[in-house]
Amino acid sequence: MIALLRYQAALLLGSHRWLPPILLYAGFLVVGIGTGSPVLDAFAFAAAALLPLTVWLTRVCVTNEPPAARSCAAAAVGPVRAHLAAVLTAALAALPPALAGTAFVALFSDRRSNDHQVTVALLPATACGLAAAVVCLLLGTAVGAVCNRPVLHGTALPVCAGLLGCVLLVVPALSPASAVVRGLVAGSMSGTAEMPWLPLAAAIPISAAVVAAVCHLAARRG
Amino acid sequence: MRLDGVGRRYGLRGPWVVRGVDLDLPERTLVRIEGANGSGKSTLLRLCAGIDRPTTGRIRGRPRTAYVPERFPPALPFTALGYLTHLGRVHGLRGPAADRAAGVWLERFGAAGHAGTPLSELSKGTSQKVAVAQALLAAPELLVLDEAWTGLDAAARAELDRAVAERVADGGTVLFVDHDPRRLAGAADACHRVVDGRLCPAPPPDPAAHTPAAGPRVTVRAAPPGSGAELPEELPGRPVTEREPDGTARLTVPAAYSDALLRALLTARPPWHIHTVTAPVAQRPPDGPAGGDAMPGTGEPDDGAMARGAGPATADHSAPAGPASPAATGPAPAGPASPAVTDPALAEGDHR
Repeated sequence: MIALLRYQAALLLGSHRWLPPILLYAGFLVVGIGTGSPVLDAFAFAAAALLPLTVWLTRVCVTNEPPAARSCAAAAVGPVRAHLAAVLTAALAALPPALAGTAFVALFSDRRSNDHQVTVALLPATACGLAAAVVCLLLGTAVGAVCNRPVLHGTALPVCAGLLGCVLLVVPALSPASAVVRGLVAGSMSGTAEMPWLPLAAAIPISAAVVAAVCHLAARRG
Repeated sequence: MRLDGVGRRYGLRGPWVVRGVDLDLPERTLVRIEGANGSGKSTLLRLCAGIDRPTTGRIRGRPRTAYVPERFPPALPFTALGYLTHLGRVHGLRGPAADRAAGVWLERFGAAGHAGTPLSELSKGTSQKVAVAQALLAAPELLVLDEAWTGLDAAARAELDRAVAERVADGGTVLFVDHDPRRLAGAADACHRVVDGRLCPAPPPDPAAHTPAAGPRVTVRAAPPGSGAELPEELPGRPVTEREPDGTARLTVPAAYSDALLRALLTARPPWHIHTVTAPVAQRPPDGPAGGDAMPGTGEPDDGAMARGAGPATADHSAPAGPASPAATGPAPAGPASPAVTDPALAEGDHR
């Protein structure tokens, strides 16, 4: 698995296709947060901005190999593990920007509540921000995996489905991503940071199950 | 490995591409799959390589597998050596071993000069060499070749023939499809034909028959270590063996197996002594002029090269004329021999 991850990571780095999603994420942070916005609001925004980043990176990773090269790797390790390596590489590649985004917010935002009345302790707030980032990273990767090969083939359909998936993750109250973002926004109103344990506990098994199902489908549908 | 009632279709209601396939792939076998275009050969090979799961049926006892696709589009951001090193690790080699194996296999296929070239700048033939090398890197137990010879130059095709023989001699299984019926002719242990997605046996050419279908063959004369010692068990290429009165053995194998046979004889315990290695003409009838057998291969460089060259080069026009005038084969090869000796693929028989 380590060898596969190294191969996929080298493929991702060498293809330079990671650049547009990362630039988009950086642009989101700079334009949407800037300096001096309330810290918990900024963490909520940074976490939500991770969704399109991870969906896009997952698409890049699972479509990076030409079919012939994919067949060669799949013969060596089996199609399930080959696909899993691509999805895991995407999740791992989203980790550095997620950490950088969290650090950016922690360093440059205003450590007070929305109405500038209550001071927010930075350390618990950053922990909440990191947890929210992890939830969004996991769910974004799962949505990216569902919206691409082997479930949806081609370009138009996966891209549209990915966009729709991002929206569906943020809007309804049921999704763990939505729950963490709303939790941070609500915390920003009152100036209290609450650790999003429940969404975190939900996001891990959901994304693991979704990715496992998609990887098993890779063996059936290629 | 065994396939039991394997079927495959794409989509929930798609037509069956492959259906009801029972196939036994034991160790030490070279299996040829043939069939018309679109008959389901490639799908069957992908199932055997483990890239696709069967829709019905099951595959048991999968060994370490490697696959060579028919076309290898080089749209990867690696150099040839970099890609092979990565794939070597994916196949389970350790870092330095993968690096070494990548270099060795590029060298064997005559692509060592392209080791540092980005894959996107390689010619079609050279990228096919990379595709073949990635499969052979880690000595797979099951090698699946989907028209892997397409696009390779003559020297690389011959090298791939020998690499395949090596895999089989080492106890592996090789499954291949090639549009050229003379590919590894006479070396295949089993031959199957795919007709409308179903597999039926096609008889392999009799290895003892000196027909064009049997392919070019090499005869090795070897003396036993002691007087009258038995030949080692399971010699590569299942040689046709004759013992001379003094105990010397004459072993005839498909040309691709010659290196593997020599290796087996020389590394046997105790080792055998090699007298001569000769490449008789494949098209000659068994009772025709057998001069090639008596002549030491080292003394007649042109003979070996001519004999190899006569196989593919004159197969088409000499087939009808061959039986009518066996004596004419003596002087006739002088023509094809002169261009043939310049071919690097054909000269290798003489270096032994």
